[in-house]
Amino acid sequence: MRADVLTGLKWTSVALAAALSLSAPLAAIADEKNPKAVYEQMELFADVLSIVQDQYVEEVDTPSLIENALNGALHSLDPHSSYVAPVKFTEQREAVRREYGGLGIEIQSVGGLVRVNHAIEDGPAYEAGIRGGDMITAVDGTDIRGKTLDDAVSGMRGLKGEAVTVTVLSPGETSRDVVVVRDTVRGRAIRHRVEQGVGYIQIETFNNDKLTDDTTRALADLNTRMGKLDKLIIDLRGNRGGLLTESVNISGLFLDGGEVLSARGRDASDNERYNAPAGELYPDTKIVVLMSPGSASAAEIVAGALQDRGRGVVLGRRSFGKGSVQSVIPLGPEDGALRLTTQRYYTPSGQSIQGRGIMPDLLVSSLKDTGEIRKRFREDSLRNFLINPDETNYEEQYEDIVYPDETFPDDEDFQLRKAVEVLKTSQYERLLDAQDARF
Amino acid sequence: MKFVLPALGSVAAVALFAFSTTHQSAVAVERPAYDETFEQLELFADVLARVRSQYVVEVDDSALIEDAMNGMLQSLDPHSSYISPEAFREMRMDTKGEYGGLGMEVTMEDGFVKVISPIDDTPAKRAGVKAGDFITEIEGKSLLGATLNEAVTQMRGKPGEAINITIVREGEDPLYLDITREVIKRQTVKSEIKDGIGYVRIAQFNEKAANGLKDAVAKLQKENGGRLPGLILDLRGNPGGLLTQSIEVSSVFLNGGEVVSTRGRRADDVNVYNAEKGQMAKNVPLVVLVDGASASASEIVAGALQDKGRGLVVGMTTFGKGSVQDVIPLRGGRDGALKITTQRYYTPNGRSIQASGINPDISISAIPDDGKDRKRFSEASLPNSIANEDETEVSKDETKVEVKIDYPPEEYEISDDYQLQQAIALLKSGTYAEKLAEVQE
Repeated sequence: MRADVLTGLKWTSVALAAALSLSAPLAAIADEKNPKAVYEQMELFADVLSIVQDQYVEEVDTPSLIENALNGALHSLDPHSSYVAPVKFTEQREAVRREYGGLGIEIQSVGGLVRVNHAIEDGPAYEAGIRGGDMITAVDGTDIRGKTLDDAVSGMRGLKGEAVTVTVLSPGETSRDVVVVRDTVRGRAIRHRVEQGVGYIQIETFNNDKLTDDTTRALADLNTRMGKLDKLIIDLRGNRGGLLTESVNISGLFLDGGEVLSARGRDASDNERYNAPAGELYPDTKIVVLMSPGSASAAEIVAGALQDRGRGVVLGRRSFGKGSVQSVIPLGPEDGALRLTTQRYYTPSGQSIQGRGIMPDLLVSSLKDTGEIRKRFREDSLRNFLINPDETNYEEQYEDIVYPDETFPDDEDFQLRKAVEVLKTSQYERLLDAQDARF
Repeated sequence: MKFVLPALGSVAAVALFAFSTTHQSAVAVERPAYDETFEQLELFADVLARVRSQYVVEVDDSALIEDAMNGMLQSLDPHSSYISPEAFREMRMDTKGEYGGLGMEVTMEDGFVKVISPIDDTPAKRAGVKAGDFITEIEGKSLLGATLNEAVTQMRGKPGEAINITIVREGEDPLYLDITREVIKRQTVKSEIKDGIGYVRIAQFNEKAANGLKDAVAKLQKENGGRLPGLILDLRGNPGGLLTQSIEVSSVFLNGGEVVSTRGRRADDVNVYNAEKGQMAKNVPLVVLVDGASASASEIVAGALQDKGRGLVVGMTTFGKGSVQDVIPLRGGRDGALKITTQRYYTPNGRSIQASGINPDISISAIPDDGKDRKRFSEASLPNSIANEDETEVSKDETKVEVKIDYPPEEYEISDDYQLQQAIALLKSGTYAEKLAEVQE
């Protein structure tokens, strides 16, 4: 070993001894069961850092070394834990604090031109007379033809209340400048319609704090249009989740009190229970929840709660299995934050969603039979995913899956058709009875 | 202790060998800012404490620290890493011990293990593994996100045991190969007379390389009646090895003088390695064959002979592994070891090999021209690779007049070895001296 390495070791030991007597976190480590082992681990790390600082072929940047070290450690725990460096963390907070405004349009790049696919009704662009099919050629006088969509979008986004001038070309007209005042635009999180005599709502995301209100309105509208909302499909396919409170409240619309889910940490004291409010809007409505392998987190909470409580039938494919809760722990003004998995979600019957997902009552494929189960991307496909200690088999069995037959048209939704069929026949009751047998 | 490592992780018996020179730098070292380091360590400890107390399940502290160190070291460059105590023990055993492997040079690209080259007469080669193949799964388990070390460890094991690997090749369905491990013994030096020209191939720079070369040259000279009209030194696919061996190998062709220098961050951290006097193969016209898989010690030899005008370097641009790693045992190896890049190699003319590699004097391709600008797999394509700090040189290379590459005709059989045939032709044509003088200008 080289002489300078030895001095490096000495120096770090001194630094650490000082740190131990001064610093609360180090003291916290040292106080635990086996203080010596942890101290040695920290010392080893400090040695390695010191050698790198001293001998690496180029100058090193210590904060970025530490950032990479922290991410190395945290990514090894599970794919959702990470270190958020100071700059990024500030950005994240800023994004939450300041309200960003948009124009309320969905755009698409068509041969180097930006075309408006859809202008959200009541959105700022719509109010200013922009409609689907219009082309946008310039933003604040800057020509955006031939630019990437990202460039075009970044010009349109900005602070709420600010005005932006867009040059619009409507089909068959000469181009005109339109002034649009940016406003907060909420994407449509829910769509609803009557489908073959059955109420249908599709929830695209739970990342929307008006979701429960919007859903309540949508249900009322269906109830009016159908005379009585006696059959309902809740489509959660591809829904990646979002706000926990919204998932609890959405579940609460269909439950009369009682548990929706619990989140449990390592210590019993970390356990939290989430209950539905008393009173149920449509107690007699039959419900089928549509699930896919892309349904995750908050979507799995809703499906799990309605299934466990015998309030509805889940139809489709086994869901994603994201059943872990991450806490964002600020580490100090200059130190960024820690995104750490601290709890797991459990359905009311005590099943952990993590790594397993929700198994539908009726397994229905949207794609035709290929003679084997296609591997789908789920939480358990992620490297290092947090394992569910429950070892009972949760894999879908090929022979249990209902496939559309050869003649079923490719452009039709087989799972939706099956959901309608279940709601209109006694299969619904049979599936509910089978649930009872399971729990 | 100092080691010179082969450029790439290897499933074969490419091991590491002690290198006897230790260089002491007794000069006082300017310390990095104490305060910053202190604060950063505190941050690290803070996070560790929170993970210990709040993570959803109990954590293994030493595994956590190990992952932290690897996260830190791998962010530096692809050759720096932490070696766990077990791996360090194994590594030291590897230098003498026997273990089974598949027989290929591998590296990491796009998160997957990529084959640099299968080694002749090994299970991998016989099973049809090809250079450029991606290994995506071992025993049905995805390698996505795995480190090179993890992958190599999984491929190694008991000789005689079969393992299943999944190979992905561009434009083809995945291949599932069952390959039985073997003890990979590589003949370090092979030699023969080809068309009256001496041919010596060095497969790797292990401790047998220089002596093997000397024996081979002596044998070839004797076979040819005392004198060789020309010699081809084949370093293609040679991933490197011991620095000392590269000096000794160069000494066979040079009469003293600098072979290579290594330079660290500090101005005083310079080591110059000189050739021994003697020059066994004096005046023998020499062609050094190289390709994109010639790395490290191979590049030192090619670079020295090129700079000294001692031979023509023929083939394709080399890999560009011009960095030196130190393996520093932590507490005598009880805590494993740290492998970090501490220096760069420079040729006698002061060129850095890092990332840019050695450009051949005469460019000859092994495969026919497919019209596409073939992307070369090299050090520069490794994620995070250390840049060649001599930026002007790199940019000069880029703007250099288009390199003329001699391609084999389209129907040429790859097994006929176009590069070698052209090298033989060059040595027999009588234009060697002329060409050498040309490149000297």
